[in-house]
Amino acid sequence: MKKTIPVLLLTAAGFAWVWQYEPVPHTETAVVAQAGTPQPPAAGAGSQTLTGTEVAAGRHGIVQVEVVLTNGSITDVRVLRAPDTNPTERALPTLREEALTAQSADIDTVSGATMTSEAYAESLQAALDRKGS
Amino acid sequence: MLGNPRRVEHIMGFPISIDVRATTSPLGPAVDRAFDWLREVDARFSPFREDSEVSRLNRAELSPAELSDDFLEVLAVCRRYEERSGGAFSVRLPGRGLDPCAVVKGWAVQRAAEALMDAGARRFCVNAGGDVVAAGGPWRVGVRHPDRIDQLCAVLAVEDAAVATSGRYERGDHILDGRTGAPATGLRSITVVADTLTIADTTATAAFALGADGPEWAAAQPGCEVFAVTEGNRVFRSENLPLA
Repeated sequence: MKKTIPVLLLTAAGFAWVWQYEPVPHTETAVVAQAGTPQPPAAGAGSQTLTGTEVAAGRHGIVQVEVVLTNGSITDVRVLRAPDTNPTERALPTLREEALTAQSADIDTVSGATMTSEAYAESLQAALDRKGS
Repeated sequence: MLGNPRRVEHIMGFPISIDVRATTSPLGPAVDRAFDWLREVDARFSPFREDSEVSRLNRAELSPAELSDDFLEVLAVCRRYEERSGGAFSVRLPGRGLDPCAVVKGWAVQRAAEALMDAGARRFCVNAGGDVVAAGGPWRVGVRHPDRIDQLCAVLAVEDAAVATSGRYERGDHILDGRTGAPATGLRSITVVADTLTIADTTATAAFALGADGPEWAAAQPGCEVFAVTEGNRVFRSENLPLA
């Protein structure tokens, strides 16, 4: 059986990560903000690294992350401290973290692009055409 | 020079693109035939067309003995996934007639892709409204972000595989849980990678209907890899998901 480890991002609490080790489903104590929501502009332009506070993740230990803001948008999330885990267990990210790693990728086509928005799909596929071949 | 056609047509209510990058013989006629086949499937299996085989069966104008081999094949896939999902996946919802759309799309596109392969296509990609058959990779397949149509939430690298995504965006609660008849909840989107689009598409739809249990269920299906976003915005990935 594949092990999954949900990770919750407490945006309001200063980017602290809470690690939970129960397999799904379980009751959530917090959820990530609407994924892809632009972050409030940072003071001044350029890149800024914010270190989150150490957060006790229940019986599992201490978690601490740092977040890199570039022009007010999160461009990276790094885990500084995490509880020891079984080597076969890997923390699963939130949608936000996942999208961060995917957003700059070069692609040939898109799955789930649309069900009804034909104009969107055509436009996207045309854009991919120009880029891909 | 061999033609490398890339064409998009609207069939079954969504755009279908066929993108051929490498072939052993000119493929124009084969691509024509692929689109002809998909239009034929729409005419024969759409529940929205009065004279389709599905509509005629629903009006009892066709007896089970009169069903075409294609229709029987589709129904066999429907039954298999109804059983495997414990009834969450269903093509016979209360108050409605038989609606095999959830299976027909993937099945039809898979068959179109196999015909292209038989005609000499070696590296090609068919994308039917966001469900993909890729052959002769590497192909990099983005997975649409559930909130943002201009963003991706994953990129998969596949050689020869099908990728299907079921999500709540745009069409809203379009997948019902066959066990309750109510809209499926628990997932925002789920993407399944499998050998064929018949398997990938049907597994993704069934897993979406299963809700929170869907990702683990789909990952346990033979040959299926899974990427899912829950309503809590947590991301699940199966062990051997081919992330780029």
